[in-house]
Amino acid sequence: MREPGSPVSQEGPDGTMDHLDEMTCLLYAERQLDRARAQTVSAHAQECASCRTLLRALDRESRLLTRALLEEDEPLPSRLAQFQERARQSFGWIWGVILGLAATGVYALYTGFVEPWEQRLEQAGFGGTSLLSLLIFQGAFWKGWQSVITLLEVLAMLTVAGFGVAVFRRRLRRGAALALVLAGLCAAFALPAPAGATEFHKGETYELAKDETVKSDIFVTGARARIDGTVDGDLFFFGQSIDISGHIKGDAIIFAQSVRVNGQIDGNIRSFANNLTITGTVARNVLTFNEVVNLDSAGKVEGSLTTFAQSVGIDGHLGRDLTAMAGETIISGTIDGEVRAKGRNMSIAPSAHVSGSIRYEGDNPASVAAGAKLASPVQFTKMRHKSRYTQGHYYVWRVIWTAAFVLFGMVLFLLLPKFAGETVRAGERFGAPVGLGVLVFFGVPIAAVIACVTVVGIPLGVLTLGLWLLALFCAEIVVGTVVGNWILGKPADTWGLIGRMAAGFVLVRIVYTPLADLHVIGALVALGIWIWGMGSIALALYNRLQPTASQGAIPGPLPPVAMPPHTTVGGIQPA
Amino acid sequence: MSVPGMTDTTEAVARARAGDADAWGELYRDFAPAIFRFCRRTLPTREDAEDATMEIFMKLRDKLSQYDETRSFSAWLYRVAANHCWDILRRRKIRQDKETDDVEDVPLEHPDPSQLDRLIEMKTSEEVRHALHKLGARARMALVLRYYSDMSYDEIADALGVRRAFVGVVLLRARHELRQALEGKSALAAGGTS
Repeated sequence: MREPGSPVSQEGPDGTMDHLDEMTCLLYAERQLDRARAQTVSAHAQECASCRTLLRALDRESRLLTRALLEEDEPLPSRLAQFQERARQSFGWIWGVILGLAATGVYALYTGFVEPWEQRLEQAGFGGTSLLSLLIFQGAFWKGWQSVITLLEVLAMLTVAGFGVAVFRRRLRRGAALALVLAGLCAAFALPAPAGATEFHKGETYELAKDETVKSDIFVTGARARIDGTVDGDLFFFGQSIDISGHIKGDAIIFAQSVRVNGQIDGNIRSFANNLTITGTVARNVLTFNEVVNLDSAGKVEGSLTTFAQSVGIDGHLGRDLTAMAGETIISGTIDGEVRAKGRNMSIAPSAHVSGSIRYEGDNPASVAAGAKLASPVQFTKMRHKSRYTQGHYYVWRVIWTAAFVLFGMVLFLLLPKFAGETVRAGERFGAPVGLGVLVFFGVPIAAVIACVTVVGIPLGVLTLGLWLLALFCAEIVVGTVVGNWILGKPADTWGLIGRMAAGFVLVRIVYTPLADLHVIGALVALGIWIWGMGSIALALYNRLQPTASQGAIPGPLPPVAMPPHTTVGGIQPA
Repeated sequence: MSVPGMTDTTEAVARARAGDADAWGELYRDFAPAIFRFCRRTLPTREDAEDATMEIFMKLRDKLSQYDETRSFSAWLYRVAANHCWDILRRRKIRQDKETDDVEDVPLEHPDPSQLDRLIEMKTSEEVRHALHKLGARARMALVLRYYSDMSYDEIADALGVRRAFVGVVLLRARHELRQALEGKSALAAGGTS
């Protein structure tokens, strides 16, 4: 192997003259040759124009490289503006505490709240789902999706996704990491089997005649609907009133002012209505959020009835349990299962017949008529209206929730530090974010619901609603950060911003919590926080979408570049 | 490159070694931009460079007691940075096979001096930086160590773990790769008889 740098001559391009090889020229240019070799090269270069050109080209290349590498084309990132070791160390235990609290919170919430409710709902025929998933994710639009998702689970999932991005970003570019997570989410959303064909009807009134049959699910929006015929699938109704005298072979999912069921429903009823009256037959279960629920004397529910209402009247026949959170519960019919009720008053008429136990927690003892046939006496528990401020677990929960939100905010800020800074800066201007916040807070859900009326708009509407909910989660975090900035001043980097977010968020919580009990004032303060926070996010997004000056703008004159000594062209290596 | 005066640096280093947090802060402020740029030039992504900069300074703080005050602080700094970045790249197994000695035996084509001169004249700094990221890890590292950090051939040999006699070869091959990248050809094809 040839010794690099040895002055081996090389035939020139014209084949007539020997020239210096490139390695020798480079070593000469970089002053890496010994004295004797350097003198040989120097002498040759004085005679040979081609080698002089090569030496000059190598020298220019060195200068170009040096200039290109030394140019300050990128500023020091804000997170590197100050040495972070101390901050990192101090945040170490905070991370530990927050993660511990979050894990405890998730476990406690699940075992103390979600699991009992799941069991209760499972007994009522809604196995494997939680209340919130019934409300949101198993509603009309998401039917068939069996995801068990609660408020905290959503928060936890987003946090875990954030951690995933944070881990991946060490390996991948940020965009690629986000794309990976988004693709994962899209894949997750795409997994549930698509619903079957659905008939859509929109108009002032809809009527399905007695001799007509809909062979699929039916989706109806309008002021009034009357179903006298047969629906082979599920019925979805959004409107003012509906009268079902026909036969629904699937479920009935209804958002209406007035619902009357005279016919037969083979599946479940899930209704969000003002009045629900059942005089017909429901083969499975009923879950309702109503002002008034009445199971008429001719009515029959073969499954269970779970209700949140002002007034509940059971005159007919209930095949399984009654779970009621109602101001007034009146039982004069037959209940084959148990009764669990919570509210102000309960009355049991002489005609009542309850086969299971009755557990009732209320303000007043149940009024039981002498002729009522009960399997066991009513187990009454006086509802205690003790101030929650005297209960220890209240504070524990406040701390857990606050920690969970701070953790969520921290992950968001680390993932999107630039956007977080822009959002907080937007929040520091009052008029624009509040104005925009009003528009977003009220306008987006309306627009999303309108979008859902059309078939193609359903995914868009659901996605919009999801983003709106996400913004709602983030609103208090944004407001907390703005408050933190007011108190502690402008942050130097992302960790500073996170510190201010944590401090501000805690302060907002402390101030807001007692106000929340003052009904109107509490609601107004909450509304103000939501509007302000959502407006800030919307304003930051709006600013992002504005056209900006081209990245390739002509830079100013280049600063003079100091050449390192080793790149000085020509010459011999110092002895 | 933001490098403060020698006296200031020596004094700040001495105070930092004595536990003066402000002195360490001064050193960090003075050298962090240059080290970040170094990492940005050698590592594939901005996020990598940010993380590496912080890690290098943490390492430096731990090793400050080992620093020989008779030598240049910035040279020591760059050596630590070079080792750290090279370790990152090596861990990721993106060092290429051609770093072995046998590849160095493949002869390089002698350039046409006039064409080379024209190519250099036409290219801007931005184009060079862009092309630099198309190079193999070792070629990129060698150029950065030499033309950004101003390291000697001995220091480069030490940092890259090659014999001192081959540093010139590594640099020349890196230049050939760079020229090919600037001309739009595949950088991976460089180093052969292209």
